[in-house]
Amino acid sequence: MSTIKEYLTTDHQRCDNLFAAMEDEASASLENAKEAYTQFARETERHYQMEERIMFVEFEAKTGMTEGPTAMMRHEHAQMRQLIKQMGEALEANNKDKFFGLSETLMMLLQQHNMKEEQMLYTMAQQHLSGDSERIVSMMESMIVE
Amino acid sequence: MNFNGLSIEQAPPISAPLRFYLTAPLFAIVAGFLILFSDTTVLMSRYSIDSIIITHALTIGFLSFIMLGSLSQMLPVLAGVVIPKVDLVTKVSHGFLVLGTVFMLLGLSYDNSQFNTIALIGLGIGFLMIIGVIFLSVTRVKNFTPTVKAMAASLFFVFFVVLMGLFLLYSYVDDTYAYLRPLIANIHSVWGIFGFGGILIIGVSFQVLPMFYVAPKFKQFCKKKVVWIISIGLFVWLGLNIFYDVYALLAKLWIATFFWAFATSVWKKLSARRRPISDTTVWYWRASSVFLTLGSFLWIFDEYFKNEYIVMVAILIGGGFIMSIMIGMLYKVVPFLVWFHLNGMGYMNIPTINEMINKKLARIQFVLFIASLVGFIFAFYYPMVLKISAISFIISMIILEYNIIAPALIYSKIKKTKPDFDMNTFATI
Repeated sequence: MSTIKEYLTTDHQRCDNLFAAMEDEASASLENAKEAYTQFARETERHYQMEERIMFVEFEAKTGMTEGPTAMMRHEHAQMRQLIKQMGEALEANNKDKFFGLSETLMMLLQQHNMKEEQMLYTMAQQHLSGDSERIVSMMESMIVE
Repeated sequence: MNFNGLSIEQAPPISAPLRFYLTAPLFAIVAGFLILFSDTTVLMSRYSIDSIIITHALTIGFLSFIMLGSLSQMLPVLAGVVIPKVDLVTKVSHGFLVLGTVFMLLGLSYDNSQFNTIALIGLGIGFLMIIGVIFLSVTRVKNFTPTVKAMAASLFFVFFVVLMGLFLLYSYVDDTYAYLRPLIANIHSVWGIFGFGGILIIGVSFQVLPMFYVAPKFKQFCKKKVVWIISIGLFVWLGLNIFYDVYALLAKLWIATFFWAFATSVWKKLSARRRPISDTTVWYWRASSVFLTLGSFLWIFDEYFKNEYIVMVAILIGGGFIMSIMIGMLYKVVPFLVWFHLNGMGYMNIPTINEMINKKLARIQFVLFIASLVGFIFAFYYPMVLKISAISFIISMIILEYNIIAPALIYSKIKKTKPDFDMNTFATI
C-alpha cells in the first residue's frame, strides 16, 4: 500500500489530468465539456474532503497544530471551490473567455497549493503519521463524499 | 519546518516583485533607444563602449531586475522560507540598483569617474544586499528540491558575477588594472549568462513546465544531475580559460551540449503537454528553445571564427533565450499575483487572469520582440535593418510595460473598494 504522501500526490496528478481533459473538451466546445467539468469538480472535491475530513484531522490531533498549515490549506481549498463553482456558471452561460480566464487562475492557484502540500505538508504528515499510514490511506480510499 | 511563507500575511507583499517588474521594461526601452542611435560597426564589437552600455541596460536593468524580483517572490512558495524583512530589503536594494544602473549607463557613456563611483556604490550595495538576504534564506531551507538547489547554485554564480562586474566598473574609475578587463569580462559574461540566468531558468522550469502546462516531468537524472554538471563545466571552463586557453573549447562544448539538451527537452515537453491552451507564454517558451539551440551551436562555431559572432551569440542566448522566458513568465505571474493578493484580502469579484492582460496586445508584443531579435541578427549583414529592429524592440517593450501596468492598476483600483469578506477572521492563520 502506498504512503500518505504517495497516495495524495498521485491523486493530485489524477486531478491535473482531469483538468487537462476538461480544458481539452472545452477548447473544442463548452457544451461538450460539461461532463468533463463535472468529473473534474467531483474528483477534486473528493480530494479536498479526503484531506479535510481525514488526513488533516489526524495530523491536527497528532501535532496539536490546528491553526498552522492545515488551516491555510483549508482556506485555499475554499478559494479553489469558489473558482470551480464560477467555472460551472461560465459553462452554463456558455462564456468561453470567462471559463478559460477562471481555469487559468485556478490552475495557478491549484499548482502552487499542490506544491506546498507535496513538498511540505505531506512530508510532515508522513513523518508524524508514519505508524498510522496504512489505516489513514485505507480510510481515504473508502471515504464517501458528502 | 517553517510554514510562515504560506500565509498571505507573511508572503512577500505584491509590491516586492512588482517594483522590479515595473522597472525592467523601462531599462529595455532605454537600451532600445541606445541601439537606435548607435550603428552596426560599433555594435559588432563586444568590447565597444556602446555594446557594453546596451548589454548592461538589458542584463542588469531588465534581466537581473526580473530575476531578483522573482526570487523574492518564489522562494517562500517554492521553498517554504520567509525572506527576512522582504519589503524593506527589496525596497532599498531596488532603489540602489536603479541608481547604480542609471549612473553606470551615464558614467560609461560620458567617461565620468564620479558617475562610475556612484554606480559602484549603488550596484554594490543593491546587488550584495538582496543576494545576501536571499542566500541567507536559502540556507534555512529544509527540503532541498532540485529547483531550490538550482536557485542556490545560481545565487553562487551571481555573487561572483557581481564581484567581477564591480571590479570591471572600478577599472573605469582607476585604470591600473584595465589590462585584466578582457579576461575578467569574458568570465563575468559566461558565468552571468549560463551560471546565473541559465541555471536559474533550468531549475525553475523543472517546476513550472509540468505545473502550468501539465507537461511530462523532467527525468530524475535531469533534475538531480544537470545543475551539477553545468556548474562543474563552468568551473572547468574557468580553469582552462585562464591556464590552458587552447582547451577551453572542450569545456564550452560540455556546457553548450547540456543547454542544447535542455532546449530540446523544453520543446519536447511542451509538445507532450496535456493542456491544449497555446497562449503567448507557450510561444515564448517555444521561441526560447529555438534561440537557445541556435545560440549554443553558434557559441561553439564562433570559436573557429576568432569570436566574430560573439555578439550574435549574446543576442540569441541573452535576448532569445533568457529575455523570452522572462517575458513569458511575467505574463503568467503578474496577473496571478494581483488575483492572489486581492483574493487573499477578501475580494471576490476580481477580473480573471485573462481579463487583466489584453491577449491581442500580448501577441503583438511577442511578434514585435521576436522580429526585433531576428532583425538585430540580420543587421550584421544588412546594417539598414538595425534602426527598424530597434524601433520594433522599443515598441514591444512599451507594450510590455503597459501589459504589466494594466494588472497593477486593476490591483490598486480594486484595493480602494471595500472587500466582499472581512479577512480578519483569518488573521490568526
